Amino acid sequence: MTDSARIFFNDEPIPARPDDTVASALFRHGRRIFGRSFKYHRPRGLLCAAGRCPNCLVNVDGVPNVRACTTPVRDGMKVAHQNAWPSLDFDLMASTQLLGWAMPVGFYYKTFTRRWMWKLAEPLIRRVAGLGVIQGTPADAPPSYEHLHQRADVAVVGGGPAGLAAAAAAAGAGAQVVLIDDQTKLGGHLRFLRRIDEEISDLIDSKEAIKGGRGNEVAGRLEAAVREFPNVKVLNQATAFGLYEGRLLGILQDRRLIHLRAGKLIVATGTYEVPLVFENNDLPGVMLSSAVQRLINVHELKLGDAAAVVSHEEDGGAVAEDLRASGVRIAAVVPPSDVRRVKGRRRVRSLLTRRAEIACDLVVVRGPRVPDAALLSQAGAKLVWDDEAGAFLPASLPDFAAAAGRVTGDTSLRGALIRGRCAGLEAAGAPRGPADDEPFREPLRSPAPLHHPLSREGKAFVCYCEDQTVRDLEDAMVEGFEEIETLKRYTTATMGPCQGKMCQLPSIGICARRKDVAPGAVGTTTSRPPVAPVPLGALAGPHLHHPVKRTPMHELHERFGCVWTDMGEWKRPLYYTKDKNAPMRACVEAEYRAVRERAGMIDLSTLGKLDVAGTDAPKLLDKVYTNRFSDLKVGRARYAVICDEAGVILDDGTISRAAPDRYFITTTTGNIEFVQQWLEWWAAGTGMCVHVTNVTGGFAAVNVAGPKARDLLRKVTKVDLGPKAFPYMGCTEGEVAGVPCFLMRLGFVGETGWEVHFPAEYGEYLWDTFLEAGREFDVWPFGVEAQRLLRLEKRHVIVGVDTDATSTPIGADLAWVAKMDKDDFIGKAGIARARGRPARERLVGFVLQDESIPEDGSAIARDGKPVGRITSVRFSPAHGKAVGLAWVPADMADPGREIDIHLSGRFARAKIVADPFYDPKGERQKR
Amino acid sequence: MSFLLKCPNCGDRSVYEFRFGGKLKPRPAADATEGEWLRYSYEHENAAGPQREWWYHRLGCRQWFFAVRDTCANSVEATFFPEEGA
Repeated sequence: MTDSARIFFNDEPIPARPDDTVASALFRHGRRIFGRSFKYHRPRGLLCAAGRCPNCLVNVDGVPNVRACTTPVRDGMKVAHQNAWPSLDFDLMASTQLLGWAMPVGFYYKTFTRRWMWKLAEPLIRRVAGLGVIQGTPADAPPSYEHLHQRADVAVVGGGPAGLAAAAAAAGAGAQVVLIDDQTKLGGHLRFLRRIDEEISDLIDSKEAIKGGRGNEVAGRLEAAVREFPNVKVLNQATAFGLYEGRLLGILQDRRLIHLRAGKLIVATGTYEVPLVFENNDLPGVMLSSAVQRLINVHELKLGDAAAVVSHEEDGGAVAEDLRASGVRIAAVVPPSDVRRVKGRRRVRSLLTRRAEIACDLVVVRGPRVPDAALLSQAGAKLVWDDEAGAFLPASLPDFAAAAGRVTGDTSLRGALIRGRCAGLEAAGAPRGPADDEPFREPLRSPAPLHHPLSREGKAFVCYCEDQTVRDLEDAMVEGFEEIETLKRYTTATMGPCQGKMCQLPSIGICARRKDVAPGAVGTTTSRPPVAPVPLGALAGPHLHHPVKRTPMHELHERFGCVWTDMGEWKRPLYYTKDKNAPMRACVEAEYRAVRERAGMIDLSTLGKLDVAGTDAPKLLDKVYTNRFSDLKVGRARYAVICDEAGVILDDGTISRAAPDRYFITTTTGNIEFVQQWLEWWAAGTGMCVHVTNVTGGFAAVNVAGPKARDLLRKVTKVDLGPKAFPYMGCTEGEVAGVPCFLMRLGFVGETGWEVHFPAEYGEYLWDTFLEAGREFDVWPFGVEAQRLLRLEKRHVIVGVDTDATSTPIGADLAWVAKMDKDDFIGKAGIARARGRPARERLVGFVLQDESIPEDGSAIARDGKPVGRITSVRFSPAHGKAVGLAWVPADMADPGREIDIHLSGRFARAKIVADPFYDPKGERQKR
Repeated sequence: MSFLLKCPNCGDRSVYEFRFGGKLKPRPAADATEGEWLRYSYEHENAAGPQREWWYHRLGCRQWFFAVRDTCANSVEATFFPEEGA
């Protein structure tokens, strides 16, 4: 195999083979130290080479904490080390080891007992301890992750022999299958075996015979057999990181997060190897046997000159054969109980045993095998300790999940294939074959992680992520953290990037040994998603913009020079100006004067609009709204308020009767969804004949108001707008400039005016028509801010601004909208309750006594203490003073009374008034 | 929270498509006592186990329906429109 790619490690070019991982390329180039540990900055080398341990975290192309051992190389890839200064091989921060005595278990809790201490220490600790750092600014960040939503009949997690057999069987039975595997190629542990001599072609549907050969080749043939099926989708290099409610699998694949809903789940995740615990078991050169087999048989690496194999098997097992074949001398095979410690500074120099010191540069550990049952546990399975297996095995699986292969504690290849096929057939709803009951089982026999008492002097690591040693865990237990769950939280063992993979079993072992019980009695820590680290960016997903709603006249407003404001998803003109530097107040007052003196027009297309039709429409509205609509005459409109059962105001608007069985409702801009759902809810299941249709987007609306509004509209419509024919609070359908419209004569801004609703596609046309017709009257468009001022002078409340989650119509001075003589309506009981007792506070109008203009939300004070609040306040051109609405205690609410408003350090006087601030009798809007 | 809910109209959908409308509670008669109304408005049973609830298919057919949901397991035994009784 030749080098054909080139990667950069800390800017140094490194040649790489096409199927190298970052780790194998770096190792071949001579790198032995891949990272520095979290706390002590101890050098760390390749340990698991399978993406389980935290030792080889690097920064790849700006993304921190990427595992070098499972990341395939790509030409030009930029790799950088983490958590070491100035370099990995010479890290000055390793001096923290000298202070190890000062950092006992629970160091933070014991040391930083005062807030100032933490403030002093935090910056230093953050510099020294930790994982990778995020570099650059958000602008330098790699493109965002995408999210995919997929479905499958059967999801198979794990692409080893059991997973492959399951996928093939389920697909053969016609199911849609997704196979998820976290390696670059399928085949699982088969790929790392030198030879497979078993005859297995009878066990998997394949065109070619599969028997005997190099593990890698057999794996390749199995993979090819599965890929034959068009209904199997293979997700390579994808991690199923969690099983969530509703059989939802979270899968991370490259820069993509997949939400997979699967009918059935087959877990064939196999086992992984964890380290044995002895002194200096973290030195670079100490490797797990599975890592050794993988690096030799897949990446063809020569891992050292002389190896000491720590193994129960006298000959060292298959890994010893592999080592020899790759040219490594076996210096000794040592049983675990004989190991004393590993010697060396930055890498292994020798292994000290009970009998001798063995010179070597590689210590190969045959460690315990842990069934990777995290997903099964999340599915609801129990993990039960099996003494024979030396492992927690999954039991009592829920009916949608099955397990096959080594994760069940069966290590035989035939067993994996047979159980895998059974699981696949069952998941697809097909019957099993007769051979499938073959009782094939080679039980897992996993060695214990601990073998003898360890000296308290050296460091024997349990948790590689958080630098927790046997001594730390034992000390924590002496301090009383004896239960595995509290021990975990206190020491943080099992809580690092490996999520307990390397350290859970040894932690349980230490706990069990100290309490002198079986590991099963200690139990396991709870497995929660994610089982492998997931970048926050993957969870966040793509950057989606908020939807923006524009009215049909949006472009015209823009051209007219409007300043926009956001109201929910809608864009609305706040005010108009040609000069963006002009003060807002002057612009708003000019718009205000147009309405009061001539004519103004405002785009009301954002109002929520509902069409309520049906013979029971009057019944529904009488029930849901506080006032009565069954007696509303066709051609008339009425103010409308919705309350909840407690009598709290939820929304207001107008209701017009277009026909005996048809009403047109407007709601506040942001509440349309709610009001529609509320009406439909009270209609649901009652059998009422009524349909509620949201026509908000279908209709544009313009309010033309002012003394000249009638003259303006008369130029473009034949509808009789005379005061008798079209009185205040009247409504009618009619044609305006050739467009079918619905006209309502309302008085929100306090002048003669019509709300004209019409099909949205005529928005620009009618707006222009009104502007043109109004030219001779000097008509002006006005925005939301002018409307707020105009309505405030009329004391019309805005629900949600002048009312809050406790306001009833009684307190808000709207008692008249509640028709208590109706038999029933939503909120009647609540309003009756509010009516029956003295109000705590009331909404009142006030006029400032001096020139000051308070802000919305300012406090009303009594004896210098806040007792009330202003909800709306504006300078009123009609009064020449600021006017507003405020909630005040009921005993302060009498008209004529003076109140103090808190105004940045001083108090301003205001007087409470009973009437609207402008045109108190409402004569102008009725002209 | 990622369970599926079977809309009686649209079938199995992610729970995020729906709006939760609370436990079904019989509304007191118009002339009920103040105490009954207060209990109706403010007292919530917060039951552990199956209960009948209102749900609304907000991002689908926009209809209200009932679901019998076990509040401990989030498992939904049945969904149906109010007219369908059961």
